[in-house]
Amino acid sequence: MKLLLIILPLAVSFTGCAVAPWERGNLAKPQMALDPHPLQTELSGHSHGSREAAGAGGSASGGGCGCY
Amino acid sequence: MAAIKSKNKRLGKANTPNPLQSLTAAALLLPGVMLGVAQAADEDEFSFQYGRYEESHRKLGDVKSQFDPISVDSLQAGSKISLTDRVKFAFNYIQDTWSGATPITTAPSVRQGNQQYQQNNVVAGASPYVETGNGQYVYFDSQLNPLNVDPASVSLAEDVVSLGVNKQLAHTMALASPETRKEGNFKLGYEWDEAAIDVGGGISIEKDYESRFGNIGGRLDFNQKLTSLTGGVSYTNSDTNARMDHDAFGYIDASAYTPKYLKPLDDGTQGHLLSGNRQDWAANLGLTQILYKDALVKFGAGYTRSTGYMANPYKVVSVFFVESADPLANDEIGPFNGVPSSTIPYVGSIKPFLEQRPNVRDQWNFSTGYVQYINPLDAALHFDYRFFHDDWGIDAHTFEADWVQPLGSGWTVTPRLRYYTQDAADFYTPYLISKQPKKSFKQDADDNTVETPYDASKLPAHFSSDHRLSGYGALSGGLVLTKQFAKGLTLEAGFEYYNHKGSFKLGSGGESDYADFSYYTANAALKVNLESVGRAMSGGEHDHHAMHHNHGAPLPAGVMFGHVMTTPGDIMVGYRYMYSRQDGRMLHENEFAADQDIVSKGCNLEPGLTCRTSPAFMNMHMHMLDIMYAPTSWLNLMVMPQFMDMDMKVRSLGGVTPDVNRDHLHGGHETGGVGDTGLYAMFKLYQGAGHDINMGVGVTAPTGTVDIKLKRMHSKDEGYIHYGMQLGSGTWDFKPSITYTGKVDDWSWGAQVNGTKRLENRNQAGFAFGDQLQSTAWGSYSLFNWLSASVRGIYTVQGAVQHQFNAVIGDTSEEGGDATLADMGDVNPKEGSMDNPKNYGGRYWDVGFGLNATIPSGSLAGNTFSVEWLQPVEDDVNGYQLERNGTLNATWSYGF
Repeated sequence: MKLLLIILPLAVSFTGCAVAPWERGNLAKPQMALDPHPLQTELSGHSHGSREAAGAGGSASGGGCGCY
Repeated sequence: MAAIKSKNKRLGKANTPNPLQSLTAAALLLPGVMLGVAQAADEDEFSFQYGRYEESHRKLGDVKSQFDPISVDSLQAGSKISLTDRVKFAFNYIQDTWSGATPITTAPSVRQGNQQYQQNNVVAGASPYVETGNGQYVYFDSQLNPLNVDPASVSLAEDVVSLGVNKQLAHTMALASPETRKEGNFKLGYEWDEAAIDVGGGISIEKDYESRFGNIGGRLDFNQKLTSLTGGVSYTNSDTNARMDHDAFGYIDASAYTPKYLKPLDDGTQGHLLSGNRQDWAANLGLTQILYKDALVKFGAGYTRSTGYMANPYKVVSVFFVESADPLANDEIGPFNGVPSSTIPYVGSIKPFLEQRPNVRDQWNFSTGYVQYINPLDAALHFDYRFFHDDWGIDAHTFEADWVQPLGSGWTVTPRLRYYTQDAADFYTPYLISKQPKKSFKQDADDNTVETPYDASKLPAHFSSDHRLSGYGALSGGLVLTKQFAKGLTLEAGFEYYNHKGSFKLGSGGESDYADFSYYTANAALKVNLESVGRAMSGGEHDHHAMHHNHGAPLPAGVMFGHVMTTPGDIMVGYRYMYSRQDGRMLHENEFAADQDIVSKGCNLEPGLTCRTSPAFMNMHMHMLDIMYAPTSWLNLMVMPQFMDMDMKVRSLGGVTPDVNRDHLHGGHETGGVGDTGLYAMFKLYQGAGHDINMGVGVTAPTGTVDIKLKRMHSKDEGYIHYGMQLGSGTWDFKPSITYTGKVDDWSWGAQVNGTKRLENRNQAGFAFGDQLQSTAWGSYSLFNWLSASVRGIYTVQGAVQHQFNAVIGDTSEEGGDATLADMGDVNPKEGSMDNPKNYGGRYWDVGFGLNATIPSGSLAGNTFSVEWLQPVEDDVNGYQLERNGTLNATWSYGF
């Protein structure tokens, strides 16, 4: 939560820099997607999640016991 | 589409000379099309992925585990569909099958938790020992360091002599039988121009664990979509129902769980069931900000509260109850049963305890990420960092960097690098020492000796030696390669190598190297972008395609090789699912068989053998991906990978006294993984007005394993699992077919003959399935222009299994242990009716009832769904077999 208090003002300060819609060509490219390989991420995330204590991350989505 | 084009023209003139840029900009300007930064490019798509996980052998010191390390086969199929412009629906099916060995506990290596056993004076393997066996007494110095001792002094029961401190630890490895997890999940979303909301949920089922989950999330874009705020809440409710390994359970102290969580099973198997419930509430917030035209940054924070049973039911902690090694030193305690020592201060007697974790866990996550476009290379650099903290004492850091590099012609390569480090949980311990005797004896008032066991309440409240809760670091790296084809088809292959080491931990305190291991994952995926296909076929061509797909006579779901695409360059992607079940009574030829007949005649593989068991039921699920390509108008090529999973329950035959040491009655059997892979060519032989004749020739490659063995139990070897539970045929098989289809108005019909000829006498496991010939004929009527119904008759002849499993030489004695030459023999199971090769194949009549739906128009035109239920009408089986309940076929296919 402390982190958020730092982040939010930061984010607000970015609002000054405008990127016009027609300047967003690069941002729209597939390599710039937040997750360019979601299938691969899901599989390796499942492996990491079953072998690491920090789990798969914030949003829970079942995923089994990982008891092996 | 026209709207886009006209807008392109306008923008092209007004703004920039680069037509590609203006096109992109125009697309971004359209309401609902301009992507928010946190918004996935959620175009309609179908995806399919296969993944393989394989772990390295663990270091066990001088011994080598007989077990293969754990490996997992994963299958994932999913789809995202726009129900309307603003309503999106996504669903996924995920299936994992695993088998192999994992650590069950940890102890000083002098304890010899993986004990070699010998057969005919040759080391045959190493079995896990959790309480008994050599090394059940471990000697300690005054600092409670474990000691090497002179083995001769122990075996001769003399005064035990120390050979010095040995702090080396070792995992004890135990085998997990093959098991399959299945998960289905969905997400339903509504999108506004600058916001979205979605709800999702799902269920994950495995034999010992069931998890149900739901989530709700939203996204808000503002600041002209330069900033996106996301948030969500999720809830997961999971039940553990673990059947405790009855080989080990008698030795394990599970008193912390009895009687509330742990109950004996009353199915005559001497088993116990551990039941627990767990709930997870999670909330997360995220913020994504475009920094400038080439970079964006994201921040996230999450909190998860987990309550309930969070331990692993298959992990135990080795507790050493330590007392003076000199029984004369204090006669109030002891004596222990081992060999005493006058020079060594302490001796510990081992007792394994089920691990005990706290039942509340609060977890926090903070993450940040940065994505930078690298202009000269058209590449993107992704950097992510995540900090994790929980109240179990674990702090973890994850650093990840990806470089996404497009190479032209639709190719993209992405090297990925990841580093992870975590602290140990507060209650993590490789093993425990408790300064009290395992049992002590006192004289009561009547001078009787009273035995008092250890006091478990003197142990810590929580303990676990699960290596996942230890301190370590992990370095991993990999590569993803994708190729996008013009028609909206994308193929992806990935590889990751992961190295877990105590010494990789950030800061000090990493676990020592006995716990180090590595694994790799490899995956292959296919994606079909349904929208870009729809766009490519806009206007007249699209209509033509929809017409084309409606033209072909609809085929019942269970019929393969019936349709040849006649437009060169066409691709069809399909998914087939088949489920069949056998349940009910045993048959002999075409009549019900009495148990006593099965006992006396069902296992006649060798003279004098009688049956003890037969299957109670068996389920088989088969997933097939089917990719077809038309290089010319008369030839189609087809690849069909298959994935299987099966489970069987065995019952004792009437009149036979169940024997857990001989019969595999415990909890049933599961197998699963990659099956055989089909490679086919299909030819158009004749095409007339309403009549088509096709021929298919092909082979199946033996990619499914046929050497799956039963788990070694009760210190006894086991041989191959039943023929029908293996994942493939093990042989190269020739598969010809010829199909006739006809169509007049709303009526269509067809007939097919297909066969399977094994091209080899026997596979690597020693046997071959019988050849098969099938003939079928059907009629179909179109109820509406999108829906038709079919009725079909099928006659199948299949031969019995030829030859039998190769002999597996092992200990055939009743008691197990170190076997002598006289005990050695073939340990393949032969006392179950399903283990007799003669009890396979037969002659079968089935009737099929099917429905076939084709979406005639709209953005999903060309999708075909069909289902068919095959109802057995008459069985005439070879030998003794379980009757069939039926088969469900379901298919989806999409041509473009």
